[in-house]
Amino acid sequence: MTSSTSAVSATLALIALIAVKLSHLQALVIFALVISVAFGFLGRRQPKERVKYILWTLLLFLLVGVGIGWAMYPFSR
Amino acid sequence: MAEETTVQEPVSQPQNSRREALALVVGLGGWLVPGLGHALLKMWGRAVICFLTVGVLVWVGAGMRGNLFTSRGNDAFDSLGYIADLGTGGFYWVARSLETNGPDVSRADGDYGTRFLATAGVFNLLAALHAYEAARGRKA
Repeated sequence: MTSSTSAVSATLALIALIAVKLSHLQALVIFALVISVAFGFLGRRQPKERVKYILWTLLLFLLVGVGIGWAMYPFSR
Repeated sequence: MAEETTVQEPVSQPQNSRREALALVVGLGGWLVPGLGHALLKMWGRAVICFLTVGVLVWVGAGMRGNLFTSRGNDAFDSLGYIADLGTGGFYWVARSLETNGPDVSRADGDYGTRFLATAGVFNLLAALHAYEAARGRKA
């Protein structure tokens, strides 16, 4: 029991060592991709429908994210 | 043209309550361990996707040093954040273990991380609800 607990702790410590350094755009793309794939799998059953839904959601996430970013640009200073 | 008619089979009361109990177990399991609810229903693809989605969001969120809310919040937003974070189930404690240096929301990265963690929780709640509904036979 103690050895398995320490193994879990060691694994978590190892994962924690992998620092996540992302630019804002990279964070946006990862977020959009992960959520689009998840929504596609939860919301659609047929593979073809899933792919269409994932691509459409991903495109909208990115367009809206970048669009809002540019819309805020004039007020950034 | 012949019309298709669907005949609903009558479900007995004990069978109904058994199905409801099973659905509750599936929903709770799906909340505690992301993807477990769908795995219990043998929806393997959805189970793996739920587990990986919540796992990646928690890992990235904790890696960006996002704020993981506790029960000792100061205002309603902290409480809402706590509920959202708790939505990750067992991954809440994984995130806590991963954030060895604590949160840092003085930079944009930490703020983004907070959103990643909250999204992981809300998504897991949605997935658990989906598994619960599927177990009740309402949707799949």
